[in-house]
Amino acid sequence: MAAHRVRARDKDPLAQFLGWFSIGLGTAQVTAPRLMSRLVGASGDGRAQLLMRIMGLRELTQGVGILVRPRPTYWLWSRVAGDGLDLSLLGLVAARNPGKRGRAAFAIANVLGVAVPDVFESRRLSRLEGAPRSAKLVRKSVTIDRQRTVVEAAWLGAEEVRRKIEKAEAKVSFAEAPGDRGTELAVEFLESPPAGDLGAAALKLTGKDLATELSDDLRRFKQQVETGEVVRSDSTPTGHALVGHLKQRPAQPVEEAVR
Amino acid sequence: MKATCWMGRNTVEVENVPDPKILNDRDAIVRITSTAICGSDLHLYDGYVPTMKRGDVLGHEFMGEIVEKGKAVDNLEVGDRVVVPFPISCGQCWSCKHELYSLCENSNPNARLAEKMWGFPTAGIFGYSHLTGGFAGGQAEYARVPFADVGPIKIENGVSDESVLFLSDVFPTGYMGAEMCDISGGEVIAIWGAGPVGQFAAASAKMLGAERVILIDRFDYRLQIARENTGVETLNYEDVDSVPEALKELTGGRGPDACIDAVGMEAHFHGPLYAYDRMKQAARMETERPFVLREAIMSCRNGGIVSVVGVYGGFVDKFPMGALMNRGLSIRTGQCHVHRYMKPLLERIQNGDIDPSFIVTHQLRLSDAPRGYELFKHKQDDCLKVVLKP
Repeated sequence: MAAHRVRARDKDPLAQFLGWFSIGLGTAQVTAPRLMSRLVGASGDGRAQLLMRIMGLRELTQGVGILVRPRPTYWLWSRVAGDGLDLSLLGLVAARNPGKRGRAAFAIANVLGVAVPDVFESRRLSRLEGAPRSAKLVRKSVTIDRQRTVVEAAWLGAEEVRRKIEKAEAKVSFAEAPGDRGTELAVEFLESPPAGDLGAAALKLTGKDLATELSDDLRRFKQQVETGEVVRSDSTPTGHALVGHLKQRPAQPVEEAVR
Repeated sequence: MKATCWMGRNTVEVENVPDPKILNDRDAIVRITSTAICGSDLHLYDGYVPTMKRGDVLGHEFMGEIVEKGKAVDNLEVGDRVVVPFPISCGQCWSCKHELYSLCENSNPNARLAEKMWGFPTAGIFGYSHLTGGFAGGQAEYARVPFADVGPIKIENGVSDESVLFLSDVFPTGYMGAEMCDISGGEVIAIWGAGPVGQFAAASAKMLGAERVILIDRFDYRLQIARENTGVETLNYEDVDSVPEALKELTGGRGPDACIDAVGMEAHFHGPLYAYDRMKQAARMETERPFVLREAIMSCRNGGIVSVVGVYGGFVDKFPMGALMNRGLSIRTGQCHVHRYMKPLLERIQNGDIDPSFIVTHQLRLSDAPRGYELFKHKQDDCLKVVLKP
């Protein structure tokens, strides 16, 4: 039996989550230091706000580090150290503002809550050996209910998609689908965008990442091979494209036919 | 042309919109002669189906005359009278070849949206949100029909629009609901909802050989129409404390062999549970009010079949999975694979086995569509089915 490897990198979703968590918390601390200071039971005066901002910058730096580096072991440990620093500062806050100890206690509980995954993930990354693996193996596939020779011939004609795939150094494979269901066409490539997860998120938001583009392209290719045309609706007159999904026109006949 | 447009929750307006054009070679343009408001249109009207956009042309039950066709449509001629099935199906993917037409793999150009919501996309549907493709619907003067060489069925003259119009959706949908019950003769079938789909499910269960059919609703006029036209037994659920209990006692303590949910996501119910689900639904914490589904599962005999043709969109709470699993029930469901049933059901109409026009209670001009929606939604004036004439 073949073992299917679907992820080929060191950073797992927990590390990613902690990275985004740092960015979220840091943003709140930097942009709303007064609110955040009061939330943890501090006075909210100028000095508290300044300290809150500094801690926020720390979080932001850590977040970016975790998201950008392929194996952010030290950045994760820096989060553990940050948790320790946060706990001692919160202890000070609690000591100086006895009236608001409830808030400080709540904040301490939250820090402890996130410290557990921080330690867990830091230890996990520390155990990894060898060169860091940053790229993610992406596989996009589609089944086309036609014989392999027909699909392969049609693929030769799909020049635009093929050029895109060659540029990304992706691997294309054809296989007969089980149960006489036609041909499975699969495209595999290593996704390793600049600036790591931050870059990947930026590409995804604009719909410009290869994985998204390919799922559109393969869908259109299947439509063309099976039905002879690209399916158009009134809301999507140019055919399937994820980018257009969020800003569709109403389902009313189009003024002019688009080809 | 004039078309019925969704303008927001509880608002439809008949607006002027551009005439449809041929966009692909397998398209045809139909001049609509009759179109109907479907119970599932009310889910759109009530604002429970996501991805609707202001201005969307509604309607997925329509028929008319071919006035223009793309050059790849060779089985129809301009002037042909056709009924159009509500799912749009390419006829050439694996699903279509296996007669799973409402699961066509190619006809939904917004597949990715549907995929995010449901795991895999389903076929395009006329006038039924952007999740099912964003196709303009048929409550209009004209409609563009993609894959016209696969869907529309030709109707000879001599039979009225009202007798064949419901081949587009509600008759096959009710029929499929009954067919999924594996009726071989002698069964007792319970059906929730005496709307058009429930009426046709009841009639079809009888046609397929069920010995007893019990139709459940709270509107006496709808139950009366069923008794008079399909010869089924009826149960007004407001007359009983518990439907599962009542059904149990009506079936010698066994429970019905199969239960059909012809209601779907906006069920009504009496009792405190209604307030619970209504509140959660209004707060959008739950997308459906699944009373009928729960009751159907609790009522069905051990090892029986629960057939769901009422429309659901998202997630349900308090789903009696324990009853389903331990009592060995099967759930069968799906948007109707209309294409599969049009021809055999047309033959049944032509043979005189059934005249589907018995459900029509209101015939209005297309321009009266807003009134039609209100009549149908609030069951005013004993409304069961509204047919619009452009």
